[in-house]
Amino acid sequence: MRKILLSGVALLMASTFALGAPVKVGVSIANFDDTFLTYMMDGMKAYAKAHSSEVEITFTDAKEDMAKQMDQVENFLVQKKDAIIIVPVDTSATGPMTSSIIAKGAKVVYVNRNPGNLPKGAYYVGSEELVAGRLQMDFLGEKLGGKGNVAILMGKLDNEGALKRTAGNEEVLKKKYPNIKVLDKQTGLWQRSEGMQKTEDWVNRFGKDINAILCNNDDMALGAIQALKDKKRTDIIVVGVDATPDALTSLSKGELAATVFQDAAGQGGGGVEVAMKAAKGDKVAAETWIPFKLVTPANLTQFKK
Amino acid sequence: MSGQMKFKQFLGKYGIYLVLVAMVFAMSLMSPVFLSQDNLLNIVRQVSVIGLISLGVTLVIISKGIDLSSGSTLALAAVMAASFGQAGDWAAKMYPGIPELPVIVPILVAMLVGTVVGTVNGALVAKTGIPAFIATLGTYVSVRGLALLYADGRPVSTLTASYQYIGQGYILGIPLPVLLFALMALITWVMLNHTKFGKNIYAIGGNIVAAEVSGVNVQRNLIKIYMYAGMLAGLAGLVLSARLNTGQPGMGVAYELDAIAATTIGGTSHSGGIGTIQGAVVGALILGVLNNGLNLMGVSAYWQQIIKGAIIVTAVVIDMRKNAKKK
Repeated sequence: MRKILLSGVALLMASTFALGAPVKVGVSIANFDDTFLTYMMDGMKAYAKAHSSEVEITFTDAKEDMAKQMDQVENFLVQKKDAIIIVPVDTSATGPMTSSIIAKGAKVVYVNRNPGNLPKGAYYVGSEELVAGRLQMDFLGEKLGGKGNVAILMGKLDNEGALKRTAGNEEVLKKKYPNIKVLDKQTGLWQRSEGMQKTEDWVNRFGKDINAILCNNDDMALGAIQALKDKKRTDIIVVGVDATPDALTSLSKGELAATVFQDAAGQGGGGVEVAMKAAKGDKVAAETWIPFKLVTPANLTQFKK
Repeated sequence: MSGQMKFKQFLGKYGIYLVLVAMVFAMSLMSPVFLSQDNLLNIVRQVSVIGLISLGVTLVIISKGIDLSSGSTLALAAVMAASFGQAGDWAAKMYPGIPELPVIVPILVAMLVGTVVGTVNGALVAKTGIPAFIATLGTYVSVRGLALLYADGRPVSTLTASYQYIGQGYILGIPLPVLLFALMALITWVMLNHTKFGKNIYAIGGNIVAAEVSGVNVQRNLIKIYMYAGMLAGLAGLVLSARLNTGQPGMGVAYELDAIAATTIGGTSHSGGIGTIQGAVVGALILGVLNNGLNLMGVSAYWQQIIKGAIIVTAVVIDMRKNAKKK
């Protein structure tokens, strides 16, 4: 009986969409201040604009506050959104949001930060963070000729991206490059100013012994480069992740050695697409992977717009 | 007056300097590079942004107020100044139409933006009578929003060479941000100690009713205090953006707290009427030495935060005892 009722509801929903009412999607972004997430929102807006008759999208800023994000999701449910896209503040605390959204019959799509173990009706769109770390270390290992000392600038220590990218670095290091040593790991909080400060201190501390800095994101890498320029240490290799426009400019000037393209717009657009299709009742894979790509001076033109 | 009493007074007055000296000594024992010229310049430059903010915050706290908006003001000033200081050849300019502007334009923009935010703070505090904590909490939130709105959430990057020079240049081997910080510290010190405005600040913080009765225009002076603090936060935004070659709306988060911490460590009392500029400078240096030293020693990021918090509280406890004894 319940099943029939549910499918009836589903049919009803499907038919309203068929009649042309756009899918209502609410988006809760972990933090509007984050440059990468801004580009991701651009991707979402672009997709929504291209499909404006099919989807209607609303953004809210969770300001890195888990409780605020929870409230925003509840507000979306009250507004009867068909699907909710979440860039979670804390991936380990998404359980209650997931279950309350699914209980209301809406769909939930996590983007960029993967909570893992998602139930039916919940989706994930993003890139495998470990891969970014591996790509960085593969590049650096080769560049260093398998020998040298590296320091790692991590993002915020409670973020999955920071932990997994670093884990990816260390995994390759352990497997392929036993003669490369990690001198230190510190957090640059994803920020340029912090990345610069940590690098200044490192260069003073390690002097000639430091050969490379692996950064969990581009902003910190650009901070590191700023510090190195001042110290006249252009011998130190800096590698970032994200391929932001600023990073690509730095790469073209020969300052940044490499970055990893994380397709911000692709993730954002992909997120909206999955939300829209899932809400309409189309079949969608539970996880959609947007691939990472290594960017070096050799293939730079592909990524520069 | 016994000798012991004098020693205690000496400690009370110069204790904070001794703390700084002791810390420098300890750090130099633990890390061989700590005392290198490179590293010392490093520290003062790292300190100069927070230091600039803390000069203004000191005036505000002496007047028994507080300014929570400095970090947001810094960000708004940074993105607005940067938008008028982008290099000509940069494709993704915010205003593609305008040519490369002389560096004085972004400097004035940064100072003006800071002053405007400060005026709003001051007017809210002086005219509406709401607590400074609430007034500046409001601007803290709104101004960050304005910065995001203005820059559309994006970094405003690739600045002109002369703009970058403000943050990255040297004069006689001394980094420009340090010189600017020293200059502003001197100006603020003179203002606080040798002008009527300075005396009024102490009077307002010491006893606002008494100040009013004795003919101090409290409202006007309050507005001036917050204006000046805002202007310094704007300058800090200019320096930081020049240093990083970018203005970002997410910059300077929680810098107001670092500045308040520096001021507090430096002996400025939150009960008003007590505080010095030299204290704020030393407080900022203590924070800087601590940050740098802990990094050089390779202390884990978690422990760094715990240690910093403990030191701030300890400094205030010592300071309160000192002031209690005076009464």
